[in-house]
Amino acid sequence: MKRKNPASKSFGGIVVGTFNKYKLQVAISIIFLLLWLIFFAMNPEGFSDPATYAAITSVAPFTIIPALSLTYVIISGEIDLSFPSVMALGGWILAVTWRALGPSPLGIILALLAGLVAGMLNGFLITKCKIPSLIATIGTMFLWRGVVLVATEGFSIPLGRYRGVLIYQALVGRIGSIPMQIVWAVIIAVVLWIFLNFHKFGAYIYYTGDNREAAKMLGINTNKVLMYVYMLHGVIAAFAGILVTLEMATFWPALGEIYLLKSIASVIVGGTPVTGGIGTILGTFIGGLILELIETGILAVGVTGFWIRLVHGVVIIVALIAQVTIREREIRRMRTIMGIG
Amino acid sequence: MSGFKYIVETKNLVKRFGDVIALKGVNFKVRNNEIVGLVGDNGAGKSTLVKIIAGIYAPDEGEILIKGQAFRRLTPQKAYELGIVLVHQERTLSENHTIWRNIFMGRELTGPFGFLRIKEMRDTATKLLKEIGLKAMSADTPVKYLSGGYKQGVQIARALCFEADLVILDEPTVQLSISEVQRVLEYVLELKKRGKSCIFISHNIYHVYPVADRFVLLDRGKIVAEFMKADLTPEDLSHIMVSIARTGKIPVEYEKINLIRGGQE
Repeated sequence: MKRKNPASKSFGGIVVGTFNKYKLQVAISIIFLLLWLIFFAMNPEGFSDPATYAAITSVAPFTIIPALSLTYVIISGEIDLSFPSVMALGGWILAVTWRALGPSPLGIILALLAGLVAGMLNGFLITKCKIPSLIATIGTMFLWRGVVLVATEGFSIPLGRYRGVLIYQALVGRIGSIPMQIVWAVIIAVVLWIFLNFHKFGAYIYYTGDNREAAKMLGINTNKVLMYVYMLHGVIAAFAGILVTLEMATFWPALGEIYLLKSIASVIVGGTPVTGGIGTILGTFIGGLILELIETGILAVGVTGFWIRLVHGVVIIVALIAQVTIREREIRRMRTIMGIG
Repeated sequence: MSGFKYIVETKNLVKRFGDVIALKGVNFKVRNNEIVGLVGDNGAGKSTLVKIIAGIYAPDEGEILIKGQAFRRLTPQKAYELGIVLVHQERTLSENHTIWRNIFMGRELTGPFGFLRIKEMRDTATKLLKEIGLKAMSADTPVKYLSGGYKQGVQIARALCFEADLVILDEPTVQLSISEVQRVLEYVLELKKRGKSCIFISHNIYHVYPVADRFVLLDRGKIVAEFMKADLTPEDLSHIMVSIARTGKIPVEYEKINLIRGGQE
């Protein structure tokens, strides 16, 4: 008999389950380190200066935080294009509340609630009205941006005078030279990582993206899962909007627009395929750092900012090729071990 | 397990797909701890029948009794809650995830606040794999790396794990190698040993014969015959099937053991 007995090759089975999961993260980290080394070689002085890292960590969270919850959305097999508008919605509600009532936590609560409502609307359109998420969230992207534009008539709202307040410091202040927003990004990443890997909700997100029919047959309410995922994503996008508004000390109506493709790219570079079913929070975090490192690095080595997009493009393509190669080799290796060539 | 005679009983099930009538008043029963071989040609209505029992299709007429409880129609969730598990070619697996996650899919063991009891699930999965003869297979292996027979095995392990009362196997041996077919048949016997009931659908009489207690022959949406295994050989069954395919009738010499005509039901 040609077929090998998989039972005799138990070792492979044990190793692969865990190793396969982290191989991609290792590859992404290597890309990150390589880029860092290149920038370091080109500008050793700049990249020895803590100020450079303070700069990266002060802006990276605005890409990373919405990308973290977007990872949930993409793993569940859907997409969201409306989160930059939800960021603006959150920032705007914070700004008008603070202008009316001063810097109170109420502004933050209302902004997060707005994010929740925006997420619920996405969830409703996708699960109840059966509109594909790509289309539904293009609709809500325009809707919320429109709401903000109409309400502000295109004007900005300055908030600089609240800078010294505790709540302001807690959100975007500095501990030494560490910006609070990166601390928030890490906290959110850890919480989302825990839920994705060790909680029932995380498991259901994976199944909803991996095999929705099977999940339904086994009694998982995938619509409810999607609803919660979009609600969570709405709240986190609004939170990111608050952070951007406070960091810049101004709300402006176009807030968030630049993060649309950067956040999606962070998720993709981080090893979560758009087809859903698999993906990691850690990957997204590193993916976001890579994109921000490129931005800061290119400016630091003294070439024009026009190079940023070009290098982003190259890195995204290289990361995708690496991912596909790793996955295919893994499948071939496993097939050999299990004897199902 | 008392208070009802049959784990599943259907009464006059009719199912239409447009102009095509897939089931024309089907009365089908499965007893406790019985393996029923559901056989018939392509388009006989075998899959339609089990999909109604598993809640995937709604019947146009008739009703379904599960453990004596009557339903006009079921949903997949409801059927699952009632202890009915449909094992379909690779369909109910989350391919990218591990065996243990797949076994507990939809019925995870959770501790405080809904956190997963991972170690417990993994250990149970490992134990189950051992029991059904996948001894050295790690519960951490992603399902996509398994061959067809093992994928069936994982789904059967899931059914065992959830104490499913009725496991429906829809063509579980299609596309499997000879040794894998053997393995699947062993899983089915394991189900029987544990007191479960089973509906086994197959084209292949030689796959279904060794495990089934009773055979139900479906032809063009109707049950045309039922036999106990003790009453006939696989060759007899094969002979009957061929006759039904050609003439739509069972040979006269088998009529006296046919449970439907013999009035034993």
